[in-house]
Amino acid sequence: MKFRTFLAAAAVLALAASSAPAADKDAADTAVEAAKKYAGTTISIVWEAGLQSLDPLNYSGPQWEKLTGIKVKVVEVPTDQMFTKIVQDFKSGAGAYDALNVIPSWMPDLARAGALEPLDKYVDKFGYRDELQDIAAAYRDNQMQYDGKIYGFPDDGDVMLLYYRKDIFEDPKMKDDFKAKFGYELAPPKDWKQFDEIGQFITDKMAPKVYGAGFFRTAPYPQYMFQERFRMEGGKFFNADTMKASVNSDVGLKVFKQMLAENKFMPPGVEQWNFVDNLAAFLQGTTAMTISWPPYGRWAAGYGSGEEALKWVPKSQVAGKVGYALTPLGRPELGVGFDLSVSATSKNKEAAYLFIQWLNSKKTSLERVQLPYTLRDPFRFSHYASEKYRALWPDAPAYLDTIKTSGEKGLLDLSLLQQDKYDEAMTKAISSLWAGEDPKAILDRMAQQFDAITEKVGIENQKAVYKVWAAKPGAYPQ
Amino acid sequence: MTASVNLNAAEHRPSRFGRMLEDRLPYLIVAPAILILLLVGLFPLIYSLVVSFQRITMTESDTSFAGLLNYAELFRDTRLWASLGHTAIITAISLPLELLVGFLMAQLFIDRMPGRQIFVALLVLPTVISPIVAGATWRLMFDVRFGPIGQILSFFAGEPVRILWTVNPAYVYPAIIICEVWQWSPFMFLLLLAALSNVDQSQLEAAEIDGASYLRVLRAIVLPAIAPVIAVACLIRGLDLVRIFDIIWALTEGGPGSTTETISLYTYVQGFSQFETSYTAAISFLVIALLTLITTLVLKRMELAR
Repeated sequence: MKFRTFLAAAAVLALAASSAPAADKDAADTAVEAAKKYAGTTISIVWEAGLQSLDPLNYSGPQWEKLTGIKVKVVEVPTDQMFTKIVQDFKSGAGAYDALNVIPSWMPDLARAGALEPLDKYVDKFGYRDELQDIAAAYRDNQMQYDGKIYGFPDDGDVMLLYYRKDIFEDPKMKDDFKAKFGYELAPPKDWKQFDEIGQFITDKMAPKVYGAGFFRTAPYPQYMFQERFRMEGGKFFNADTMKASVNSDVGLKVFKQMLAENKFMPPGVEQWNFVDNLAAFLQGTTAMTISWPPYGRWAAGYGSGEEALKWVPKSQVAGKVGYALTPLGRPELGVGFDLSVSATSKNKEAAYLFIQWLNSKKTSLERVQLPYTLRDPFRFSHYASEKYRALWPDAPAYLDTIKTSGEKGLLDLSLLQQDKYDEAMTKAISSLWAGEDPKAILDRMAQQFDAITEKVGIENQKAVYKVWAAKPGAYPQ
Repeated sequence: MTASVNLNAAEHRPSRFGRMLEDRLPYLIVAPAILILLLVGLFPLIYSLVVSFQRITMTESDTSFAGLLNYAELFRDTRLWASLGHTAIITAISLPLELLVGFLMAQLFIDRMPGRQIFVALLVLPTVISPIVAGATWRLMFDVRFGPIGQILSFFAGEPVRILWTVNPAYVYPAIIICEVWQWSPFMFLLLLAALSNVDQSQLEAAEIDGASYLRVLRAIVLPAIAPVIAVACLIRGLDLVRIFDIIWALTEGGPGSTTETISLYTYVQGFSQFETSYTAAISFLVIALLTLITTLVLKRMELAR
């Protein structure tokens, strides 16, 4: 009897050991091992066209094929068409795509439509849950689930950072003059009042050689800045009980007026600036402060300047002179980002899942966020702490520390049903602001448009989604 | 001879079936082509008409019949009517300008001169450029920092001239119209040059001998002679202008706000950014109806419908 018991216990132990190997293994290796049975198949993945696609085309795709024998077909789609393509494929049932890049604010629409495969069962089967804990909380808690189920893995630490010229901020004469005028130290601004004072001060002292600040102002970027400032100043997008839009509040008006006034100490024509205009101005040293996504910091340091794919990026004139800080008021907008998901109509769901687990894993993602050309930014604690990454340029540790803090404090993009429509209304409103239209009239129109969208979607439907979103720690500053 | 031919014909008279076949043979021959044309051309039109009566959006699974709901919505949609207004403004200003510039250019080149062919080829270059490229090029030209237009204006003004062409509502329409006229006046020029070359020289010589003034010759001889070409050119360009998309997309994306949003841009936004599939189909049919009405009226007015 004892021997029998011993045999049974041994069998149970052996079974347990064989059935849960993934939990102890590296998630990348687990994915590779499991995927080998799909050798010879081809999976397609929707990826943002352009620089981003160089990652799966030149780096991760070929590597995956070498490791598993699975070919990766990259379907390059411009960002503004990705949602349409994904939905079209789903509605037609064609199953043309296996894995997807999804912008987190689309997740409610896509998950509700049934276009995304719930990933929990795969996460457990392939022992990925533990490694997900390494993803910074802002992304993990906010950009991964809808209605309690995992639909995507956060794969890009998109967050706004404030970049400033250390050499100007640390110049003794500038420091003295600034302190004499305003009574506090010249340092990265803690709020928008300080930002305006510092910006105007530098412009007064140094323009036209250097202006106090420069921002991207053309669609669709400034709406992320508006979302952040509006909430940090105390604004709420909607009344949670009625779902009536409240963007046309006094806070909205204050933010709009401030944003408009700031153009005056920025370079002439800043109203027309896009991502590249702003990048060029900062890298060439003509603006002392700017706010943007993490690639600005890498490129300003000269990282990847020899890359063929980055020839369009102006050679940095400010390498070694750039400081990194949180945006004024300390809670930066996460701003877009990307998730890795599996298409619900895929014919190779498991193979597609294994590919995204491998891409997203601690090991592979660390390599991918160091690719200078792909615009994927650090999003895991292990990325921030990576000795290899921290040695890439002298200020890389400060850069990673700032990204980490920004990620921890990051504010989520508004994410409702048919979010694109709300985004469009905000984008159009800001464009009207630069054109000189009355800020109050613009905000009232924006609120009307918000209400019309909400009504069309269904007030109760939207209210439920909004409540879930608003309850997340990254939605409104607590 | 005639009698024998008739006799032979009577002898070889085909059967009733043969005659029927002979009568209908042309129709039978073209039938497959017509069928294909109907399938390719008419089917999508009918399908989109059906869609316009449904509730299809990209994000919902409801495809139920909506009756005239989408069409009723058209009348409440102020942004739609504003976009039609923007389209009308751009068409009403650009078309006469293109005609005038094209006509003046044709007048310059009507006389043969050394190197005429090379100049004509160079002048026609803008029309072969893709409108999106033309728009992007003009966006750079209008750029407040690097654009040559600002620099030229600054040179003449003696001080920096910083016009935000694509941001300031006072300048966005001029910017679009300048780009549009630059690109498409050469098209008018080509057509009018060909038409002017075919004006009856003997009438012109007779008028010259009679001492008729330039304006009188233009009004009495030249314009009547080239009127049909002008009408066709205006119709082609007018329809193109109503569909204007690329240049505005590259220059302003319909902004600032929705100030320069034309009907094509609005349809695109509704269909591919807001995913309102059925409503977009309804907009398209409204545009088709308006265009059909306008084209018929114009053709009738120009007596080209005959």
